[in-house]
Amino acid sequence: MNSILSSKRLITILILPGLLVMVFAILAPILLSLYYSMTDWSGFGPMEFIGLANYGEVLANDPTFWRSLYNALMLLLVTVFIQNVFAFMIAAILVNLSDRLSNFLRTVFFIPAILTVVVITKLWVNIMNPNYGLLNKLLEGLHLDFLVHNWLSDPRTALGSIIFITIWHGFGWALLFYYSGLTTVPKELKEAARVDGANLFQTHLSVVIPYMAPVIQAVIIIDITSCLKQMEIVMLATEGGPGNSTQFIAYHLYEQAFRFSKYGYGNAISVLFVIIALSITLMAQRLLASDNTR
Amino acid sequence: MRSPAYIGRPRITIRQLFLFILLALLALSQLFPLVWLFNYSLQKSGDLFGKEIFKLPDVPQWQNYIRAWRDGRIMQYLTNSVIVVAFSILLIMIFSFMLAYACTRMKWKLRNIVYGFVLMGMVIPIHTTLLPNFIWFKNFSLIDTRAGVIIPYIAFNMAFSVLLFRGFLASIPYAMEESAYLDGASARIILMRIIAPMAKTGFVTVGITAFLNCWNEFIMANTFLSSEVKRTLPFSIIRFQGQYASDYAVQFACMVIVAIIPIIIYFLFSKWIIAGVTAGSVKG
Repeated sequence: MNSILSSKRLITILILPGLLVMVFAILAPILLSLYYSMTDWSGFGPMEFIGLANYGEVLANDPTFWRSLYNALMLLLVTVFIQNVFAFMIAAILVNLSDRLSNFLRTVFFIPAILTVVVITKLWVNIMNPNYGLLNKLLEGLHLDFLVHNWLSDPRTALGSIIFITIWHGFGWALLFYYSGLTTVPKELKEAARVDGANLFQTHLSVVIPYMAPVIQAVIIIDITSCLKQMEIVMLATEGGPGNSTQFIAYHLYEQAFRFSKYGYGNAISVLFVIIALSITLMAQRLLASDNTR
Repeated sequence: MRSPAYIGRPRITIRQLFLFILLALLALSQLFPLVWLFNYSLQKSGDLFGKEIFKLPDVPQWQNYIRAWRDGRIMQYLTNSVIVVAFSILLIMIFSFMLAYACTRMKWKLRNIVYGFVLMGMVIPIHTTLLPNFIWFKNFSLIDTRAGVIIPYIAFNMAFSVLLFRGFLASIPYAMEESAYLDGASARIILMRIIAPMAKTGFVTVGITAFLNCWNEFIMANTFLSSEVKRTLPFSIIRFQGQYASDYAVQFACMVIVAIIPIIIYFLFSKWIIAGVTAGSVKG
């Protein structure tokens, strides 16, 4: 039996299809990207090899690149410290409710998360529309007229609005992750803390949160990748504008290549993007993992 | 419910009232935008410009939906989505099951390296392959073909699916396979007749997660599918906005139609989504 479970032929047959697809559609293009990133090329016609010049240009002369990293960082901070904290609190409330009520509420809270980003974005673009949008009407109704304006085309509120749409869309996932993590916290742990005289808040701080550390870590790592990947909402709502106030790295590279025909340059951003995504995730994993073992 | 305050007649404390209001407000903020969308999809476009925050339709304008369906070419886009997503899900389930089996239950030297490579797929943003694949896929005539989006969909769903399957496969007792192997059954029979049925929940969970990912995917479809007749469902909204820019009500109807399908699927399978998240985040 051991011979079958370590049969080279069988292993090859089993892993080959999946691996080939991944090599073909992920690894090969990234290596190609590395090559194109060293060229001055529009995507058509003659190609000129220029070494690392594109990278120098991105890092030294491209404020939009840095702006998009800054925006991703803002999005991440809001996601982790507002959306996640809120989702954790709501999840902690839901696990203490009756099964029926908690099931119902989880279903409701998760609905936006399953919709395509196109519907979500266009929905909020309509809600934030200055002429007929729900948001401005609501503010007028609440006598907050001084807040009424064009949310997505005012540089002061555009990024905030984009961040809001993003965390609104992703809230259900964060909630679901925390909820399923919280259901695994042993009752005895919480009761022991309560016997020791801890109130609900102290119990969470001293017992539940440390127990949940691996889940929190996993969610934060997912947050990091998804904040870096932000693109579709921006593409459909503001196209990075006004100015470059809502640029994100994925949309920046897309625009450079397909709108401004700087294909080689776009690939250099793309390669930097891979490096950033990989290194930040690995760093976060190390950092958070060493935190756990304390 | 064991603390003395709850014994006897149930009383609503201030804290419970506060929690109730908080949950109700949250539910409202998650649902009201969708209700607003649905409500105004049944009115005339002009009704949207009224002063009131919310107004029910005098006469529901169901013909908005007929127009959205017809002029938005929903049927055509829907068919495309179904074809692309069905092939993607089927292949994702088969490939990731095979890969997860080899990486969980079989013993070989490169196992951890291969598994690590597969998991890296979760960290790589799809956007970093958009530019190179645009040229790379041209070599294989994959641009503007369904295969040209199905292949990357499979690739980018591998990591999470293998992770999910590993959780389910690890919990199956080894005795099952051992006796079957001793009886001389072939690997194919064992995988298909014994292991696969026991990992049934895994298949549903992987299937539903892959469905949501592929069904809602926009940017690759937007980049790689250029001809109108091959594009997928989210495009009906974009196209509609371009052509009927001031016809808000019909646009809204179009958005509702596109939104309704994942909602139905979600209500049918919500149990498995939760199972999948639990398996993926806690066990993994």
